[in-house]
Amino acid sequence: MQAFGCIKRIVTAGADAVIVYFDGANLDEANSACHQMLSAIDAKQEHIAHIDVGKKPEGDTSTRWSWLRECVPSYDSLLIIFDMALIDSHGVYLALRELSAENIYRLPTASEQRVKNSVVEIPVWYGAPNASDLSIVSKKTSLSIEEIIALHTSTTYKVYAVGFSPGFAYMGDIPEALKCARLGTPRKRVPKGAVAIADRQTAIYPNESPGGWNLLGLTAFDMLLHKDQHSESRLRAGNVVKFVSITEQEYKSGLQVEL
Amino acid sequence: MRINVLSKGLFSLIIDKGRVGKQRDGFCESGPMDSNAYDWANFLAFNLDGTPCIEAIGEMQIRVDEDCVIAVTGREPSLDIDGIAKAVYQSQKVSAGATITFKSVLLGSKAYLAICGNWQVPKAVGSACTVVREQLGGLNGKGCVLKDGDCIEVLANTRVKDNAKMRTLAQQHIDDYGFIESIRVIPGYQFTSFSNVAVRTFETSTYTVSSSIDRMGFRLTGESVASDIENMRSEAIHLGAIQVPGDGQPIVMMRDRQTLGGYPKLGCVSPCDISRLAQAVPGEKVNFVFQDEEEARADWLLMTSRRRRLQGEIL
Repeated sequence: MQAFGCIKRIVTAGADAVIVYFDGANLDEANSACHQMLSAIDAKQEHIAHIDVGKKPEGDTSTRWSWLRECVPSYDSLLIIFDMALIDSHGVYLALRELSAENIYRLPTASEQRVKNSVVEIPVWYGAPNASDLSIVSKKTSLSIEEIIALHTSTTYKVYAVGFSPGFAYMGDIPEALKCARLGTPRKRVPKGAVAIADRQTAIYPNESPGGWNLLGLTAFDMLLHKDQHSESRLRAGNVVKFVSITEQEYKSGLQVEL
Repeated sequence: MRINVLSKGLFSLIIDKGRVGKQRDGFCESGPMDSNAYDWANFLAFNLDGTPCIEAIGEMQIRVDEDCVIAVTGREPSLDIDGIAKAVYQSQKVSAGATITFKSVLLGSKAYLAICGNWQVPKAVGSACTVVREQLGGLNGKGCVLKDGDCIEVLANTRVKDNAKMRTLAQQHIDDYGFIESIRVIPGYQFTSFSNVAVRTFETSTYTVSSSIDRMGFRLTGESVASDIENMRSEAIHLGAIQVPGDGQPIVMMRDRQTLGGYPKLGCVSPCDISRLAQAVPGEKVNFVFQDEEEARADWLLMTSRRRRLQGEIL
């Protein structure tokens, strides 16, 4: 399948799925292209769902992508799962090309820009006793604990992808000086809200789970939004995040607010 | 009607079709490991597609406190009601107070029990399917496996008439769960990054199902099939994806797989064969054969249209 637009490659994933890889000068650009394509697909679904309510406008040949089962984005790729009874991979390819021709890689509108520019601040109690590899990180990076905290809070991070487990957001890039390898042996138990780094990435464990990243501290920021019977990730790909250092007291009062 | 769990078996879960559209938030797909058996169980128990049912490993025993219709399916399943053996892949009328015992004869395979009616189980993130790791679904919505003494509420389905014709899937139409036929695989993802030797090795070797098999993935052991890729970015993992980590031993990703992963993948097991593989037990030998996507789609269309025809004839 030939590439077009910001797409680098489209590859078969399985009998009922293709995976689209995006191009860009760097990972940030490829990641943005991926999420623009995803927004365009989502918008199309919503837009058409809206039209369905009333009468189809004259000359509108667009039809709902009823064959679309699910889209799963990651760093620079988008998995598109389709219903084999309704379409084949070539049909999916044609639909994506048509969508791409609609100028989806556009500049964000003012309101989108506001959302994009708003920074989500996440308070962290660095060095919390049950979630601290600060001394290990200090050894790996030859930085003092104060320097590690200063560096981790010095810059904003982009959410590249949400996945692995519910609400787990992969953020980056952390300063080169902070770069450090995963633990040799993963921990059996990482507490909920642990803030961690690995390679050039940073993340928060949404729930207690096993994990091999280096822990820096704890946050009371809940990674999942709970509404009735539905939960969704609080951070979305494209969000901008900044960590802020807080005290143990502030962390504990934060926990109460979140509860 | 109340369904009382007398004996939970080894590992029994309330499941349904699973979570759709939530993988982008990190929730796994979940759903029945053997979707063919699950669909048949609901059909034979007069339920709509997607109704919750029980997926059980080991022998499970329950008691119902009202008359009802049930069906048991799976790989070599067995069923008895009050100690009397009954046919599987068939609607069975059960009287109030009866004890239902069912299992798969093969230890490790799954049996499915569907009970006609509206299951009063909460939906968590759009589904009642239990995912222990995510603490989602099941009886209380918190991801608990079924345990002795649990009680499931199922309301009678008023659509089903008392004189409704019982349904049977004839023996010759029941899915074949053996591994004489190879498991079909569609080349995909990083397939081209595997050497010709690795691809040929994968296709000509026999793999053994290891004891590390669960709802997340099935680890196989056999000839190593390393790829040239050392480092890749995490990407979405589709159902049946054959992931090959550094040790070259393939892992087939199943229903509860994590949504993203960074190991190279050879492609995906055909949707026609994923249920069969999901019923394999440790020590079984499996062969793989590559098939292009058009062929896989044709096989799938044939399989689904055949099932629809069969169901039409049974009605």
